[in-house]
Amino acid sequence: MTPRRFLFGAVTVVAAVLLQSAVLTRLPLPGGAPDLLLVLVVAFALAEGPLSGTVTGFVTGLLADLGTDHELGRSALVYTLVGYAAGLVHDAPALGGGVSGGRARSPLQPLVVVAVAAAAGVTVYAAVGFLLGDDRITLDAYTQSLVATVAYCVLLTPFVVPVIGILVRRLDFDPLRR
Amino acid sequence: MRGPRLLLVLLVLAALALTAVDARSGAFAPFDAVRRGADTVLGPVQRAVGGAAGSVWDVFDGDPAEQQRLREQNARLRAELAASEELQRRVAELDRLLGLAERGTAPTVPARVVAIGSAFGFGSTVTIDAGSRDGLQPGQTVLSGAGLVGRTLRVGPFTATVLLLTDPGFTVGARLTREGTIGLATGVGSALTYELVEGGRVAVGDALLTTGSETFLPGVPVGRVTAVDASAGDLVTTAEVEPFVDVSALDLVGVVTGPPRDVPRSPLPPPPPPPPP
Repeated sequence: MTPRRFLFGAVTVVAAVLLQSAVLTRLPLPGGAPDLLLVLVVAFALAEGPLSGTVTGFVTGLLADLGTDHELGRSALVYTLVGYAAGLVHDAPALGGGVSGGRARSPLQPLVVVAVAAAAGVTVYAAVGFLLGDDRITLDAYTQSLVATVAYCVLLTPFVVPVIGILVRRLDFDPLRR
Repeated sequence: MRGPRLLLVLLVLAALALTAVDARSGAFAPFDAVRRGADTVLGPVQRAVGGAAGSVWDVFDGDPAEQQRLREQNARLRAELAASEELQRRVAELDRLLGLAERGTAPTVPARVVAIGSAFGFGSTVTIDAGSRDGLQPGQTVLSGAGLVGRTLRVGPFTATVLLLTDPGFTVGARLTREGTIGLATGVGSALTYELVEGGRVAVGDALLTTGSETFLPGVPVGRVTAVDASAGDLVTTAEVEPFVDVSALDLVGVVTGPPRDVPRSPLPPPPPPPPP
C-alpha cells in the first residue's frame, strides 16, 4: 500500500463518517437513511479484496460508533464482516470478480453485492442489539430498516463504487514496486 | 488467504469485546472518556458540517409553487428570497420556543440539530450545537416550539447529545390536561406509552403535560393520546401517545438550563385580598 493510498483511505473514511451523521441521516426519507459507510466499505472491498475490506470496515465502524447511540463496537462488527465478505467476491473469479486482469466485471455485480451486504448488515446489527436487550429493535423496526437500507444503499452504489474503484487503482500504482 | 481470515477473526473478536464491555458498563463506564474526547474533537467539525448542510437545505426549502414562480426570476434573487423565507420560518419557530419557555420563565439556550446518532434507522438521539460552554449539563429538559423533545444525555464542550422522548430509555412524569391524573410516559421507538399511576380515565385525544421534577421543567406539552388499551383485569391503564414534536424533522430546539425563576402555574388559592385600610 502506498502512502498516498493510505492517506486517501483515511481522509475518505473520516469525511464519510461526518457526512453520514451530519447530512445523510438527516435527509427526510421514510424508513431510514442511505448508509454511505456500508457502501464505502463494500467499494474498498470490491476494489482491493478481503484484507482492505476488513480493515476499512473495522476502522469505519469504530469511528461511526463514537458518534452514535449504541455500544462502541457494534457497527465495527457489522462493517468488518461486510468488508471481509465483499472482499471474497473480489477474489472469486466465478462471481465475476478476479484479481486485475480477469474478465470484465458485470456492472450489476456491485449492486447485488451492496444489496446483500446491506441486508446482512442490518440483520447482524439488529441481532446483536436484540441479544444485548436493545428495546428499539422490534420486528417492525427491523423490517422497515431492512427495506429502506437496502433500497437507499443500492441507489447510492453507482455514485460510490466506481469512483472508489478508479481512485484506488490510480493511487496504488507504485512505480518503484512494479 | 490466511492473512485476511486471521485479521477478520481478530477484529471481530475486538469488536465483540468492545460491545460487551460497553453494554455492561452501568456504574463504571470505561468508554465515557473516549466518547467525551471524540465529542470534544469532532464537535466543532460536526457543527461546521451540520451548519453548512443546514444552509444548503435552507436554500432548497420552500413551497414548490412559490419556487416555480421564482424560477422565472434571476438566480441571485431566487437564492436570496429562499434564504429569507427560511430565516422568517426560523424566527417564528424561535418565537414559539421562547413563548413556551416563557411559561416558567426558565433560562433556555437555543440550539440547532447538527447530527443524528442513528445506525440503520434505529437511532433515537440527536447532536445539537450547544455544549457545556453554553451552560448545558446532562439531564436537562430539551424542548421545541411544538413541545417536549427529550433530555440531554452526554454534554461535550461544543456539542451535546439529546436522548429523544421516543427512546425506550426515556421516561417522564406526565399529567393529563383534562383529568389532571398523573402517570408515566415512556418511549417505545416512534411513539410513547402512558401508564396511569393510580387508575383514572384516559380518552383518545387527551393531551399530556410534564409534571416536572427537580431537573425537569413542568408544564411542557408531551403529546396526545391516540389509543387506549383498557383490557379488563389490568392493574394499570395504558395508552398510546403520539408526541407533539416530529422527531424526524427536528431543527431548532431549546435546552432549559436552570429551574424556572417563578412558579410556572398560577397559584391554586387566589391571591389574598388587599388588607382593609
